[in-house]
Amino acid sequence: MSLALFHRHVLEDHLSGFEANANPNHLSVVRRPAIFSVLAHRGQGAAVRTALSSVADTHIRDCGPEEWLLVSRTSGAAAVETGVAEIAGASHVDQSDGRVLIEIHGPSVRRILARCVALDLHSDVFVIGASTNALCCHVAVNLARTGDDRFEIVAPRSFAGSLFEELMEMGREFALTASFSRD
Amino acid sequence: MASLITCPHCGTRPKEEFSIRGAALRRPDPAASDEVWQAYVYVRDNPKGRYQEYWHHAAGCRRWLVVERDNFSHEVFGVVDAGGAAETKSQARAGE
Ligand SMILES: [Zn+2]
Repeated sequence: MSLALFHRHVLEDHLSGFEANANPNHLSVVRRPAIFSVLAHRGQGAAVRTALSSVADTHIRDCGPEEWLLVSRTSGAAAVETGVAEIAGASHVDQSDGRVLIEIHGPSVRRILARCVALDLHSDVFVIGASTNALCCHVAVNLARTGDDRFEIVAPRSFAGSLFEELMEMGREFALTASFSRD
Repeated sequence: MASLITCPHCGTRPKEEFSIRGAALRRPDPAASDEVWQAYVYVRDNPKGRYQEYWHHAAGCRRWLVVERDNFSHEVFGVVDAGGAAETKSQARAGE
């Protein structure tokens, strides 16, 4: 008997069939990101951080002291793993199937997030490129600012449905739409 | 309850991100008597006023912190990483 395995996104039932044309405030779910958790060994933090920044097509997300997520939308998990495995003094785990990557953007994005994130997200405080672990809709996520009105959320897969529904509720006043990312 | 805690790694965060894990007491020696361990595990002073507590930053950096606060006035006096605090203590003990 052959077993056919295929990828099905955890938010498929929340999104498929409901996707509308994107409004100015839009939430997009990245279908197959590569997400790695990386921890530096004792005293190796600075060296590992530097080495991570040279892994091609990836972005670093700060989680805590000497701990990061390495996120890529364009490279597959295998390619990222090859790059991470070369770094000395670090341990890594592939989280690509354990986390979801959600992007939310638009002119009202800060007002939407202000309803479910207890962080000061003013651009003077939380600058472009900043990232941190925080609570969002009562879920422990990693939040990153990728543009003036653009944020990325990395959330545990099993909480993705609840997080997604709550974000859409918070964005309803601002006509937030949602779809899978097209890139 | 002190509602804002300034994590040394993450900055000022709401208390909902943390889990309070009790008084920050020095752990007894592994070979200590049962009475000492019984007292460490079960017998707590529960003082009113200023004291030190372990807080785990569960929804943030996931580090253990030592929060010094006043449980009567809600004032927070300081927050340090528990790993760093333990190292400082053991260095002080080694220097004694
Ligand atoms: Zn923290």
